[in-house]
Amino acid sequence: MTVDSLSSVCNLGALDSLSEASISEIIESWNSFCLITETIVKGDNAKLKTSYLKFQDDVCSLCKYGLRSLVEEHFLLSLQDMLEKHSAPKFWKNFDAYNNVPDPEVDDKNMQEDEVELLLCKALEEISSEKQYQEKCLLTLVNALQLCGASDTSTEGHAVDTEKIFLSKYQLIVSSVLMTTMPRHFTEILHWYFKGRLEELSTIMAGDYEDYNESQDDNQPRNMDIDGTYDQKKIMENKLVRNIGMVVHNLRNLGFTSMTEDAYASAIFLLLKAKVFDLAGDDYRTSVLESIKEWIQAVPLQFLRALLDYLGDSMSYLSPKSTKSPLASTPSSCYQKSGKPSEGIVRWQLRLEYFAYETLQDLRIAKLFEIIVDYPDSAPAIEDLKQCLEYTGQHTKLVDSFISALRYRLLTAGASTNDILHQYVSTIKALRTIDPAGVFLEAVGEPIREYLRGRKDTIKCIVTMLTDGTGGNNSGPGNGDSLLEELNRDEENQESNSLDDDINTDDKQTWIDIQRWEPDPVEADPLKGSRYRRKVDVLGMIVGIIGSKDQLINEYRVMLAEKLLNKTDYDIDTEIRTLELLKIHFGESSMQKCEIMLNDLIDSKRTNTNVKATINQLSQTGGDLREHEASFDILDASVISSNFWPPIQDEDVKLPEAVDRLLSDYAKRFHEIKTPRKLLWKKNLGTVKLELEFEDKTLQFTVTPVHASIIMQFQDQKSWTSKNLAAAIGVPVDTLQKRINFWINKGIVVESSGADSNDHLYTLVDDMADGGKSVTNNEALGADDEAETSVASVEDQLRKEMTVYEKFIIGMLRNVGNMGLERIHNSLKIFCATPPIYDKSIQQLQSFLSGLVAEEKLELRDGTYHIKK
Amino acid sequence: MYRWHAVASWTWGVDDETCAICKRAFDGCCDACKLPGDDCPPIWGACNHAFHLHCILKWVHSQTPQAHCPLCRREWQFKE
Repeated sequence: MTVDSLSSVCNLGALDSLSEASISEIIESWNSFCLITETIVKGDNAKLKTSYLKFQDDVCSLCKYGLRSLVEEHFLLSLQDMLEKHSAPKFWKNFDAYNNVPDPEVDDKNMQEDEVELLLCKALEEISSEKQYQEKCLLTLVNALQLCGASDTSTEGHAVDTEKIFLSKYQLIVSSVLMTTMPRHFTEILHWYFKGRLEELSTIMAGDYEDYNESQDDNQPRNMDIDGTYDQKKIMENKLVRNIGMVVHNLRNLGFTSMTEDAYASAIFLLLKAKVFDLAGDDYRTSVLESIKEWIQAVPLQFLRALLDYLGDSMSYLSPKSTKSPLASTPSSCYQKSGKPSEGIVRWQLRLEYFAYETLQDLRIAKLFEIIVDYPDSAPAIEDLKQCLEYTGQHTKLVDSFISALRYRLLTAGASTNDILHQYVSTIKALRTIDPAGVFLEAVGEPIREYLRGRKDTIKCIVTMLTDGTGGNNSGPGNGDSLLEELNRDEENQESNSLDDDINTDDKQTWIDIQRWEPDPVEADPLKGSRYRRKVDVLGMIVGIIGSKDQLINEYRVMLAEKLLNKTDYDIDTEIRTLELLKIHFGESSMQKCEIMLNDLIDSKRTNTNVKATINQLSQTGGDLREHEASFDILDASVISSNFWPPIQDEDVKLPEAVDRLLSDYAKRFHEIKTPRKLLWKKNLGTVKLELEFEDKTLQFTVTPVHASIIMQFQDQKSWTSKNLAAAIGVPVDTLQKRINFWINKGIVVESSGADSNDHLYTLVDDMADGGKSVTNNEALGADDEAETSVASVEDQLRKEMTVYEKFIIGMLRNVGNMGLERIHNSLKIFCATPPIYDKSIQQLQSFLSGLVAEEKLELRDGTYHIKK
Repeated sequence: MYRWHAVASWTWGVDDETCAICKRAFDGCCDACKLPGDDCPPIWGACNHAFHLHCILKWVHSQTPQAHCPLCRREWQFKE
């Protein structure tokens, strides 16, 4: 090695010119130099002083012969040798104990951390002092060199430079030696160390922070020495920070800058993450963002500030150049600028806050489904999420994860349509907060809408939600009333709009719209017009599920009819209110039929009192009081304009004679009052309140007229065969059997098979002790029966309307063979342009076709329909 | 039995279903009306043809000096 460097430095001519004497001088100096180098490098400080002069002489004489670079090389090599052979192994040996501990969590953590801490400090101090000593040696050499340099004249100006060069060379050697020999677990050790330290610090700070929160409720950055306790804490804190600072400093001197930084950055982030999880948790009722920010200010930033201050101070008197490790990565550049700590701190703050935002956002997005489930309560969490997203901009993440959550948890066969709708409404409201433009809502809502369209009872549920404003309050918070609320809100909007009802409204509105314009977010789907997104309106979105408001209104009409027909007290205030709200939203004309229905009820009330009044007058004056106890007092009637009501199921039934007489009298009265109008009774409709008297008790029921007529037949005759009873009531036998089940379930009538197997025998139960029991048992069954509707359901109506097209469809399929749904739909649109005009939606067609499939008229294979053979 | 709430529909008792003028059901109302019933009654002429009151009135007023029944061209007179 020496020869190599020799030949590289000296040329052969110079070698030739050397005299015998000078060669011997060189050799002598060299030997002595090597000896001294060895001794001083070995670390004998005392010898350094004694042999200094000799060392200097040797160096000078060697320099004189142009062997300066050889000297330097040798010295550095011996230093490196020393490091490799002694210092580094000694240093690493300290950590050997932890080599085989794969997971610090498993072991006794506290013990270990304490140990690690002590060990690390000690080891670092040791190696640092060694390093310092070596640096001192190096300086000796530099000094010596400089002395001969001074005699050499030329190098004087570069004295400082030489020193710099040497030190940086040395630094490089140190760090490379340590890096190459570093055992793998050292990073982990560093990591544990910082984690432990930070946790300790954080608990100190947290104590502080809480005290602070209790004592003062404003968000000012914490003043460190408000009172005595703080001083004490501050001392602890400072000690800790100094401790850490020391370690960091030592590590940095050894060239581990980036590793150190990684270690404590990751420790801080871990701590921050833990803190966020701890604060945010599963509680969505409070906003945590502010407190997290405060915490960042209070703990990690405080720590970093202290650390950077400390390092800044120490660096100003320790040579700052020594920190310039070639391995330092770019982010560590902020440490070099520790002269301006504010910048470093600001950077850290931004980093930490971003990290906090991201963590919180991820946490919230993962739980978004739950958050939205209890939406009105979880508004703070939504607000947090919104702020986070503003920073991170990861809206797509939200959309993706939420959609998959929806798919997995909501849009399954097990979820009831009502729940899905509620979730949908909450989603709309929640996402409206996050993103007023509704772009993400569009993306998220699509799968829900798609799914809901496939459900049969969607419309029904929506209408129920729309109308059952009061029902929701009873059944649970945030349930059902949501849509009615929405209706109300709309009304308010409408009112506020109508306030400034001058000619300029439109212009003004346009201007305001223009001013409010913002470009669509990048994620917006350009294929969909942005106009749709402008207004995020819950009702609009709900109606959007169904496709058209007509369907919704139709369903509403059916439900309204059902409700009105079963009313006995003409009390329709809530219905009027709902209708008014709907009128505002859907337009007056479309709700006109419903309005007429309500009007019918109002009219009926008036007519009813009118009719009754005249009849009572008559009966009093005429005195022809019937022998039967049934008087007009018990009869009320709703008179409807059948043209405007949805088709009503007509079923002929023979009512008991007394009732029948009452009805015809009533009709006569009506005809007299409202000539030339006549009444047509819908005998199967309405409600009857009954009281059944038994020997030991009486029972009350509210039933349909058919049920009432059935039971009233038993007044005179205790048992009937099904055929006779059916004839008496005027309904087919199977209908009777269906209806009488109600009474059988109530335990009032028993069924026994008669002589004829088709002819059942029904007997009234006398012994109510037995019957009473079954009343409680079968309550649910009775309720089922009552769910039967008096108004033809929308599906039935549709079915009736669609049968017209059945011929077409069958014919087409016979000719063509097989057709897809879409093709059938389009063909019908083309061919049925003359009345009956085909105006059904593809969904309606699909449900009709599936009905035909169920009837085995068609069959569905691979998405196409065939004629069933 | 102590309360019977019955349901009935009303009808004007006109032979035809729809008014020949507006082609709407008598049990409904004419073009101009919104609410059926007393507000929009049918009316019979001397020829026994029935129309919505509003419809035939409009017709009668447009025909001067003497109006005829739109269906049978007889002179229009309200049936007493």
